[in-house]
Amino acid sequence: MTTYFIRRLLLTIPTFIGITLLVFVITRFVPGGPVERMVTQAQIANAEMGIEQIDGVGGSTLSEEQLAQLNAYYGFDKPVIISYFLWLKKVLTFDLGTSSRYNEPVWDIIVERFPVSIFYGLLTLVITYSVCIPLGILKAIKHSTPIDHFSSALVFLGYAIPNYVFGIILISLFASHWDIFPLGGFVSYEFDDLTFFEKVVDLLRHAVLPLLSYLIGSFAVMTMMMKNSLMDNLAADYVRTAMAKGLTFKDAILKHAIRNSLIPLATSFGHTISFVLTGSFLVETIFNIDGMGLLGYESLVERDYPVVLGILVISSGLFLLGNILSDLCVAIVDPRVQFN
Amino acid sequence: MHLHPLTAKKIQRFKSIKRGYWSGVILVLLMVLSCMAELIANSRALVVSYNNKLYFPTYGAFIPGNYFGLDYKYETNYRQLKHIFQQEQSGNWVLMPPIPYNPYESNTIAGQYPPHAPSWSQQHYLGTDAAGRDVAARIIYGFRLSMAFSMLLLIFNYAIGTTIGCLMGYRGGAFDIIFQRIIEIWSSVPTLYVIMIVASIMIPDFWVLIAILVFFEWIGITWYMRTSTYKEKSRTYTLAAKALGASDSRIILHHLLPNSISVLITFIPFSIASGITTLTALDYLGFGLPPPTPSWGELLRQGIGNLSYHWIAGSVVTAMVCILTMVTWVGEAVRESFDPKKFTYYE
Repeated sequence: MTTYFIRRLLLTIPTFIGITLLVFVITRFVPGGPVERMVTQAQIANAEMGIEQIDGVGGSTLSEEQLAQLNAYYGFDKPVIISYFLWLKKVLTFDLGTSSRYNEPVWDIIVERFPVSIFYGLLTLVITYSVCIPLGILKAIKHSTPIDHFSSALVFLGYAIPNYVFGIILISLFASHWDIFPLGGFVSYEFDDLTFFEKVVDLLRHAVLPLLSYLIGSFAVMTMMMKNSLMDNLAADYVRTAMAKGLTFKDAILKHAIRNSLIPLATSFGHTISFVLTGSFLVETIFNIDGMGLLGYESLVERDYPVVLGILVISSGLFLLGNILSDLCVAIVDPRVQFN
Repeated sequence: MHLHPLTAKKIQRFKSIKRGYWSGVILVLLMVLSCMAELIANSRALVVSYNNKLYFPTYGAFIPGNYFGLDYKYETNYRQLKHIFQQEQSGNWVLMPPIPYNPYESNTIAGQYPPHAPSWSQQHYLGTDAAGRDVAARIIYGFRLSMAFSMLLLIFNYAIGTTIGCLMGYRGGAFDIIFQRIIEIWSSVPTLYVIMIVASIMIPDFWVLIAILVFFEWIGITWYMRTSTYKEKSRTYTLAAKALGASDSRIILHHLLPNSISVLITFIPFSIASGITTLTALDYLGFGLPPPTPSWGELLRQGIGNLSYHWIAGSVVTAMVCILTMVTWVGEAVRESFDPKKFTYYE
């Protein structure tokens, strides 16, 4: 098994290179890249100020020297592959460059946001699993009863509504209309002056609405996955054997079927982990939570490409790690899994 | 039309799931209606009767105002014309669409700043947005646009995904391995973010946005088609067809595809829902279609920016929830009828 995981780990390297190269090349070759954009911005700015073009050499109002500097900064003066590997070499030493907006190292900026994303991610993870597994079991046992139908309808409604739309509903009702919860943010401005107890309350009050939006989508998938896989197992021969030996239905489920039906959930565990850290652009933007999602969105709007690429590197890295973690979970839950 | 009895049975089963069936009927109806959106929400009149002649200005070139005896040469303002005709009482009349506004014009009411609250007298049934554009009109045109968008996206995604998936399953070998690697890379890309990156670099129009999305989303169906083809390929009927001398393309098109198609069909409604969701999300974040395109995402953005003008967010959220719920119900019913899971258990 160890060799399998080592091989898996090694296989992530070409995939990682593939992803980053893909995006790197796209940002380079698509018309209107960072340099071109700066040139046009400079032109617009000049036009607005009414400055006449004096040099008359070309359309560019940035001087040749400035252009060369910009090109060198983005590595545009070298062939793609070379500048890609230069960039990759820096990435491997956790040097993601410097943010053009904050003028700080990208790595530091991203790490700063980790606590926020981890807070929401972990809570979402724990709540999802602790609600969906029991609910799925209940739905499987009570298949085709009113409880099953009713919860299915609710769960599917939750599935149909995208989490950002649900977030907008929540914020307009409970924050704007009724003013029960704050409009957004991670904590209040006066957070530092509060006592410990007040701090906890403040944090939780801010967390209720975003958490609900995070949960709504994952509920449906998890619950139905649990239910269907348990239903599959309930129809399996080994459950029949167990019951033929005189086990009660309850024991057959709790002692035999459930363990096996957790396998599909284990496969999705790794993906949840990567989601834990990267959060959601949409939910974080709506609730103005200063996590990685909002950072990614803002740096895109501000054209802060070092941060954009940095977030991409970290989220795809996490995703790949999550995949391996999934395999590990499956191996733990399912001893039949052979890794050859 | 001759249907295979199995297919007929599946359709019968779909019809018997009432919730899904009626959602499907309503959705199709809404789509047909939205194709005629110009007749429902438009600033051009449906019919104008002037000096005993009928005019139908909805489609075609615009009719200048002096045509109807007004003193200007730009396009007739039909709402005004209606008012004038009513005052003249000369037998001329104008029939306006139910919502007499097009989604682009801003209609500011004198003495007020937009957004205007819903009002029946102004015929802004759902109010106006911050630029004074009619919300109902924008929702209708936005619906048409996002439906067309997700349909086209679906067609391209499925065409590419199915072709590659079938070839992977059927050919195997190096082709399979190469595309497996590609799919692994593609599926590890944080899709929404990368699409946002690309969209931020090149301001996309309708077709460019579809191209970008197809570029990153075609893998969705590929894996299922590969598995399905792979499974069907080892069945005896494929072997028989091969023994009879059928060509590869015949085996794929006449034998493998029809047998794998039910997998494809069960995914369609969910793909449409995700198309709508993605487009709206991109529009919301400002990386979608350029303004002033009527879009739900842009309305959502305005709604969240002007929370006290609850009719903006309220209308568009209601529209989205209704449409997406219906699409999901259809999806549930399709899955139930095309890929039924029958459970037996012992108690």
